[in-house]
Amino acid sequence: MSEARATAGARRNLVTDDLRFALLCALGIAVFPFVLHVFRGYSTLATQIAIMSIASIGFNLLLGYAGTLSYGHAMFYGGGGYVAAILILRFMPNNPNLWLAVLGAVLATTVLALLVGALTVRLYGIYFALLTLAFGQMIYFIVEQAKDWTNGDDGLQALPNAILPFGRWQLDLTTHLPALNLGPFGDLSELRIWYVFAGIVLLLVLVFFRSLTRSQFGEVLDAIRENEQRSTLIGFNASAYRLAAFTISGALTGLAGAMRALFDGSVPVDSVGIDRSGSFVIYTVIGGVQTIFGPVAGTAVIMWLENVLSATTPAWRLIEGLIFVGVIVFLPRGLSTIFRQREISPSRVFARSLRLSTEEPKAVIEPAHEGHRAGPMSIIETFKLGKLFGHFAAVRDVDFKVDPGELRAVIGPNGAGKTTFFNLLSGTIAPSTGTINYKGRDVSRMSGTSRVHHGIAKAFQTASIYPDQTVRQNCRLAALAKVQGSFALQVFRRSVRLDDVDALAERAMARLELLDVAETRAGGLSHGDKKRLDIAIALATQPQILLLDEPVAGMSKDEARKTEALIRKLSTEMTVLVIEHDMEMVMGLSDTITVLHQGTVLATGTPAEIRQNAKVQEAYLGGHSQAELAHP
Amino acid sequence: MEAFFQAMLGGLILGLIYIAIAVGLTIIFGTLRLVNFAHGAFYAIGAYIGLVVAQHIGVVWAFIAAPIGVALFAVFLDRVLLRSFYDKAPTAQLLVTFGIALVVEESLRLIFGATTQQYSMPEALQGSVTLGPITYPAYRLLFAAGVVVMLVLVWLFIERTNYGLIVRAGIRDRVMVQLLGGNIQRASSVMFALGAAIAGLVGAAATPIYSIDPATGFAFLVPSFVVVVVGGLGSFWGAVLGGILIGELQSLTNLVYAPASQVVIYLCMALVLLFRPQGLLGESEVIRQ
Repeated sequence: MSEARATAGARRNLVTDDLRFALLCALGIAVFPFVLHVFRGYSTLATQIAIMSIASIGFNLLLGYAGTLSYGHAMFYGGGGYVAAILILRFMPNNPNLWLAVLGAVLATTVLALLVGALTVRLYGIYFALLTLAFGQMIYFIVEQAKDWTNGDDGLQALPNAILPFGRWQLDLTTHLPALNLGPFGDLSELRIWYVFAGIVLLLVLVFFRSLTRSQFGEVLDAIRENEQRSTLIGFNASAYRLAAFTISGALTGLAGAMRALFDGSVPVDSVGIDRSGSFVIYTVIGGVQTIFGPVAGTAVIMWLENVLSATTPAWRLIEGLIFVGVIVFLPRGLSTIFRQREISPSRVFARSLRLSTEEPKAVIEPAHEGHRAGPMSIIETFKLGKLFGHFAAVRDVDFKVDPGELRAVIGPNGAGKTTFFNLLSGTIAPSTGTINYKGRDVSRMSGTSRVHHGIAKAFQTASIYPDQTVRQNCRLAALAKVQGSFALQVFRRSVRLDDVDALAERAMARLELLDVAETRAGGLSHGDKKRLDIAIALATQPQILLLDEPVAGMSKDEARKTEALIRKLSTEMTVLVIEHDMEMVMGLSDTITVLHQGTVLATGTPAEIRQNAKVQEAYLGGHSQAELAHP
Repeated sequence: MEAFFQAMLGGLILGLIYIAIAVGLTIIFGTLRLVNFAHGAFYAIGAYIGLVVAQHIGVVWAFIAAPIGVALFAVFLDRVLLRSFYDKAPTAQLLVTFGIALVVEESLRLIFGATTQQYSMPEALQGSVTLGPITYPAYRLLFAAGVVVMLVLVWLFIERTNYGLIVRAGIRDRVMVQLLGGNIQRASSVMFALGAAIAGLVGAAATPIYSIDPATGFAFLVPSFVVVVVGGLGSFWGAVLGGILIGELQSLTNLVYAPASQVVIYLCMALVLLFRPQGLLGESEVIRQ
């Protein structure tokens, strides 16, 4: 009915909302230098704070939203400063154009961030911090050594006043504003046009950043921070997102560095130093990560301490340190979500170690091929699939074939390799030997994320969900991945504007009977609901094969039967593979059963056949297979 | 040629300091799962305790007071602050220990001033020893021998005692150790104190060689982390190998092209992280944490 009108109304609301935010920011920026004046801050400091805030906002994107700590951001800050200064000194000493200098600096730092990011975003925690620190130190070294360009340890001094061509005007930003006495708030003429310029840039950055955090891009970044394992297996390319965040962060920091260099008229070598990198950490954490204004506030407070309080007490740096520790210990908003242990997608680590240890033993024994001829009918099929962890073969020589529309159960005693086998199929880990064919195509080397987009989705043994988001949002994320693809640099558009996403999410919730709890926080759900939500998330990616790892484990009898009925219904529309220990369910539900034992296929057959199979009975009851007993 | 041998010896001594700090980091990571960015502060506190005690009481007492004082400080820190960060994400640990390092550095600056200080050894140890083609200060050789002895003792402690067993098991699976009834709480405190005491003792002992200022702790910490990463997080022999490698690399680069002596170790670490992220002797499982 009036849905279109409602959407249009919502859009108008968003626009006025953005406008209100921009006006609020503009007001804050306009009064800030006069408030600072009351606290004995001078006008130069106001401009410097405005500029440095831009860098802190950029840093916050990485620390607060991508959740990783860079200890080398000075390479972008100082790098931007040096590029801007060199552009002016070398190429336009007589006609210094501020636009060109800043633009050149931002371009250069964007490229640098892209390069460094490409090498670092696959690492986490201390490794990421140290590697960014290492790159920062390398840049410092280069700056210090390239004396012809950078003047070495002395830095670049005495830059000419940059001119800002603006329409017909050639603005000299060092010009003072007209005199206007504001009593205790100082005089308007203390400010130069520089502050107006820096304020406008800061305003634009704030509006951009707020929009980014609420955009589709920001939404996915939040999801990856909250549960990376889940995010990669609903089809988001986590590395690409982290790289994009790193690059935007570096570019904003470079912008600030360039502006600061032009404002100060000099670039000290410290601007690429390790202490500068540390200062961004301090500004951002003290102000409060994951907030729009936090980094701005942190920058203002700490720079005020450094420049005003330092005249009064030598202990100002100690005060700074104590505030820093205090903020961390008493956990301000945002920090707590970064501090939670994250589930990191193991695929990356394994994929890497696999690539490096190609010398794995490949003792291939010719297996019996009965019943597993490659037929055009199969939807997924494996040949001699194997996975070694060190010298332990969790899965070996598995030939496995599933017809479209089949409901296949994979059973076996604990440690039989069932979950590892599923991880191989879903692409969470790469196989050591053998191949996986999906619809006749070899997908053995395809990432888990790509496999999701080709129609292979998985629900985990331990429900892998986004605990801080509602059930609906959980499903919407999976649907979003389906609709937008593994990566989309949508930093303005919000996903609420995508109707298909809503429809997909709604349908997934309906199929798993979760509509009653759609607006509940996922972390607060019962165990059974969490397990079903995990399936709903997988379902929202519109899979053709659904892998369910123990879908009813830990559920009460009633819940288990209910879930079983839901799975039966799903299996009419897609191929379903289930790992399960609940034999009642396995026997009643599946078309075919594959029994894994000690990493290999022991038997495949209908429930009745499996029930009668002597080898299976032996494996379950005796703990030793007959084969093993026959050949000790 | 003489310069080369001098540099090799210098690199060895530098490497031994890195190893000692890195082994402390490894022990603490193993038992507490804590990435300790404040470990350099332990070195610095030890150095200043050593400085004060050596100047006012005696050098021998400095070597006793420094590790004990630092261990006490570490236990205090552990109890009041760090305990709640054991199970947090590495980023949280990095931030809080970075903050502690900041506070310690600034406190030392307020108390002792920003200038570089040093204390000298008694007459008996001030001489030089001639080793084949080169002459080398006696104390430096004694220092190297002392650190080696200390490392052997630490290794025996880790390999041969029950506490050590908890450390080794904790590196692999902390939860399992707890489930098996290992008193990881007490072991944690002991190990944290031990790791800190090693850094404190080395700080006091190295001050006559390298001198100390409030920023020295951090200056030694970062290369030590490089050593840990290059050798492999959680590996004792990795720390030893990494320490010697980094120390020599730095010292020999200093001989060839001095300005590059700092950056070369970062280059080395970047290459290791890019091509063998688990470190030279590390196990790939550990990096997942």
